[in-house]
Formats: sequence, C-alpha cells, structure tokens
Amino acid sequence: MSTILSDELLSGLMAVGQLDVLVGLPTLNHSDSVGPVVRAAHVAFNRELARERTALLNMDGGSTDGTPDIVRDASIVDRETLLASQSLRTRHRISAPYHGVPGKAAALRAVFAAADLLQARAVVVLDPEIASVTPESVAALARPALAGDADFVSPAYARHPLDGPLVTQVVRPLFRAAYGLALAEPLSGEFGCSGRFAARCLEQPTWESEDLRLAIDLWISGMATGDGLRVAEAAVGPRRLTARPRPAVAALVPQVLDALFTCLRLQEAGWAPGSRAIAVARSAAPPPPPDPPANVDAAGYATLFREGLSALGGMLERVLRPATLEALRAGAAADRPHVPDDLWAAVMLELAAAHRHATISRDHLVRAAVPLYLGRVASFAAELAGLEPRDADERLEALCLHFERSRGDLVALWTAPLR
Amino acid sequence: MAEAILSTLRETWSGYVEGLRLVIPRLLAMLTVIAAGWLIAALARAITGKVLGWLRVARLSERTGAAELLRKAELPPAERLAASAVFWLLFLGFLLAGVDALGFSTLQALRSEVGLLVPRLAGALAILVAGLVIANVVRPVVLLAAVNAGWPSASLLAGAVYLLTMTIVTAMVLDQVGLARPMVLTAFAIVVGAVMLTLAIAVGIASAPLVRRLLDERLAARARPESDGSSHL
Repeated sequence: MSTILSDELLSGLMAVGQLDVLVGLPTLNHSDSVGPVVRAAHVAFNRELARERTALLNMDGGSTDGTPDIVRDASIVDRETLLASQSLRTRHRISAPYHGVPGKAAALRAVFAAADLLQARAVVVLDPEIASVTPESVAALARPALAGDADFVSPAYARHPLDGPLVTQVVRPLFRAAYGLALAEPLSGEFGCSGRFAARCLEQPTWESEDLRLAIDLWISGMATGDGLRVAEAAVGPRRLTARPRPAVAALVPQVLDALFTCLRLQEAGWAPGSRAIAVARSAAPPPPPDPPANVDAAGYATLFREGLSALGGMLERVLRPATLEALRAGAAADRPHVPDDLWAAVMLELAAAHRHATISRDHLVRAAVPLYLGRVASFAAELAGLEPRDADERLEALCLHFERSRGDLVALWTAPLR
Repeated sequence: MAEAILSTLRETWSGYVEGLRLVIPRLLAMLTVIAAGWLIAALARAITGKVLGWLRVARLSERTGAAELLRKAELPPAERLAASAVFWLLFLGFLLAGVDALGFSTLQALRSEVGLLVPRLAGALAILVAGLVIANVVRPVVLLAAVNAGWPSASLLAGAVYLLTMTIVTAMVLDQVGLARPMVLTAFAIVVGAVMLTLAIAVGIASAPLVRRLLDERLAARARPESDGSSHL
C-alpha cells in the first residue's frame, strides 16, 4: 500500500477517517472539463448522498494546465447551492499526484488503495472526459454498492442504436461472448463498485503489466465476472463527451480493438475455461433513446470497405479463415455492403484469436481491421434504416446473442495452436 | 577401315569408362559429404531451436520488441530464424567441402575465389537482410496508412515504396560486393533519373490538366474516414 500511495496522500487520507463513498477522479490535463464533474460530485454529496460520509479523491497524472488547482477550487455555483440540501457531514476533497507510470491504471490503483485504506463501502470512478455527468448519475453509480446489492455498477447510457457503433458492434458483443456478462458499456470510463471489489482488484498481479495501461477500462469490467461478485447496471441518461480533439476513426478503431483483445489475453484464465452467463441487475428502466446521431456515411464506408478489403487481402488471408474472407469479399461485391451478424461474429472471433496468437504483427492486425469495421457499420446502418428505435435495439440484442452462441468457437480459436 | 572405326570407338569408350571410374567415386564422395552435411545441419537446427526455446528466447524477443519487428517484416520468430541461419551456414560449408571432393581444378579455383569474396559477401548479406527487413516493415505500414486514410491506389503506393527501397538495397549490395561497380552505379542513376524525369514530365508538363482532373476526381470527392472518431464510442 505504501508503495502505491505517497506519504503526503497517506497522511491526508488518515485525516479523513472511515468513509461510505469515495469518488475517484483520475485526471491528466483536464482543466477544460474537470470543473463540472467536480461540481456534480459535490452536489451529489450534499443532496443525493447527504447522509453518507463522502470524499472526492483526484489522482492527477502530472497535469501542466492547472487541473489539480481547478479540482481544489471548484465550488458549487449559486443555483446548485440553492437546490442542494445542506451537507450533514464533512466533505473532503483531496488532489494528489500518483506514483508510477502515468496512466489511468496507476490512478485507479491509487483510488482503490485509498478506498481500501478508508474502508469505503462504495467507490465511484468518474471520467473527466464525460461532460454529461450529473449528481443523479454519481448517486446512481454509488447506491447499489452502498445498499450491498452489487459489487460492480456499470453505467447504461441512453443511446440511439446507431450511436457508438464501436461499442455496440464490437466491444459489447465480443465482451459478452467471452465473459458471459451482458454489459451495455464495458468500455465506460466511469463506474461504481463496492469496497470488496476494489480490494479484489488490488490483489491482482496484473497491475504490474505494461499491457494493462492500454486496457484498464475493459479490465475493470472484466474483473466484475469474478466469483461471487454481483453486477448491476445503472441508467444514467444520455452520454455527452467533452469537446476536445479525439483520434480519427482510423486511429480509434485500432486503439479500441487492441485494448479489447489485450484485455481478453490478460484475463484469459478467467473467461476461457468456463461457460456461463452472469446476471446483471438493472437499477432502473432504460430511458428513451435520444435523437439519432449524425448520419453514417454509408456510401463512403462502403468504398473504404471494398478498397481496403482488396488492398489488404494478402494480410487478411493470414488472420481470417478462407471461408470468412470469401464471405467478406462476396459481401463487399454487393451493391450495398452486406456483413451479416454471423459473418461479423466470425470476423471478430478470428481477429481476436489472431491477436492472441500474434499470427501477424498485432499493430498491423488491428489496423487492417478498420475497413472491415467500416463495412460492418455501413451494412448495419443500411439494415437499420426505417426501423423503429425499439426494433433497432432488438437487432443489437440479436447481434449480442449471436456472439454469445459463438462462444465455443471463440474458445476453440483462442486455445488453438498457431496456424 | 572397319578396324579403324572399331579402334576409335574402343578408345573413346574406354576413355569414358576410365573417366567415369575416376569421377563416380568422387561424385559419391561429394554426395555423401552433402548428405551428411544436410543431416548434421538439420540436427544442428533442431538442437539450436531446442536450446533457444529452453533459453526462452521467444519471451526475450517479445520483451525487447524484436519479435514484433520480425512479425512486421513478415519473418519467422527469432528462434526459428536463428535455427535456420545455423542450418544454412553449416549446409553451405558442407556444400563447398563437397565441391572440393570432386577434385575439379576449375571448381576449386572458383571456390578459392568465393573464399576471397566471403568478407565482402558477408557484408553484402548483412545489407541485404537489413534492407529486406526494412522494406518488409515499410510496405505494410505504408499500405495500412494509405488504406485507412482513404488514399487511392494504396497497394500501388505500397508496392512502389517497396520497389524503391529494394532498388536502393540492391544497389548497395552490388556496390558492397564490388561486382561491375561502374555499371551498377550508372544503371541505378539512369533508373532513378528516368523515374524522376517521367514523374516530372507527367505531373508537371505533359499531363498537367489530366493529372489535375484525375486528382480532383480521386482525391477531392473521395470517401475518407472521419477526422474525429468520438461518435463511434
């Protein structure tokens, strides 16, 4: 513990004493977005969690833009003060740098260590990149753990079926196939958990792995499949990201795929041998989906899919089975790209296995997957055109079920020797 | 007359038989040396592979990044590569010894010349291997970058980069060996100059309107992935 927490932080935490809820906020140069997140947490402390002993712990990775100062100085604005109930307890706000290699993994490890030290009943980790955080969402992530109903609480955002295809088409179904856990947002940077869950995470040797830096959000979600842990989802409304430059889709897809496949590799001892479905308790009915996102450029994606498939054929031959590649080529040859669920499941499973066995360079593999992903998004968008949001949601569920049924194939490919 | 023909035939055939009598044992000796060499080299390859596996070279190469570099160059893993190198070094040595066993003065002279060339050949081989690795690493990188940026003719571009790299490597290898150096340099200069001149003429003068129109059509209105991928998350 002493190697995870600095002496200064340790003495600050000792002054806090026992806690009910610890809100962790990992930051790195988030001066433009951290203020509203801190204020939302504080309103939640004063209103929704007024009877609980609470603290906000900001673990900063060495910001040079004054983020820790903003966290320390952020105050509840007047309107919110009027709305917020009076605090019944002392509120603590600690901002400290963390030890180790900069990255969210080290920050989360410090938050968990602090929660363990303070014997917190519930931990909420917030993401400074999510601008839509509200006092209600902070409380919604904390309550199931506080009530002893869940050890891990994942957010369920109100999404349009075409919003976030990297999550809905890739992360959600493959995560579900591997772990048997039907989480809507396994990649989410915000979550709630019990002190027990935090302690169990702390025990893992994986913290020392370089790969964890890449896959920390998914790794945390994967930890929820541990024996005896209960999982819940909390409806937290629509999700809005802060306005800051983000990687282009051609860079984002490889990043997410690399994180997902790396996470499967890190936790293979946990998911690969068994076959089970883990129940997820939902704390509230999902809210109605928001307006559809900006139109998907299906024609453009189709062109990139066809050209990419043609140009990268030699590379893909080494990672996909011949029948899968042939079916992709047939799907690309159609007027509109057609990548049905079963084909998409086969593609993702084979890519995951090729990443596991390092059949080709892992960097090349995840980059070569970009055109395939765009083809699937174009195909799915065309399929969804004209469907009611509820029917579209059912299509997403059908895709996940398809992946779930392919679990045996995933395990077989995963454990198969190198080709 | 018939006697003369028979005598000539007899002399010729006896000469051939005498020659065969001399050559066949040497040929057999060469074949046995080569076969034994192949067996020894294969054994050495297997032992090298086992020893490197026992020494966990695969893990070491993963940790140092060498494994990823080899995968990027589409080459086998480090332990298999090292084992293959041992095999070929030993086998080539036995091959030269086998050639010696034939006892032909011309082949022996050739072997001596090759022996003199060995240091330069080793240098050239090192350049060739490094060049192949670089070219094989660069080609997929260019290909993937071009495909994911939505550039036209990504394969052509990657192929051109590979060809250019290999042309430079070949010129360096030949220069290192020292074979026909002026010819190599001249040929290289002519090829590069011709390519550049062709491009200059095509793009700058003769095909300017056509190239402009083609570029306008192929680049301006092309589908490109979004520059901000946040809507995908």
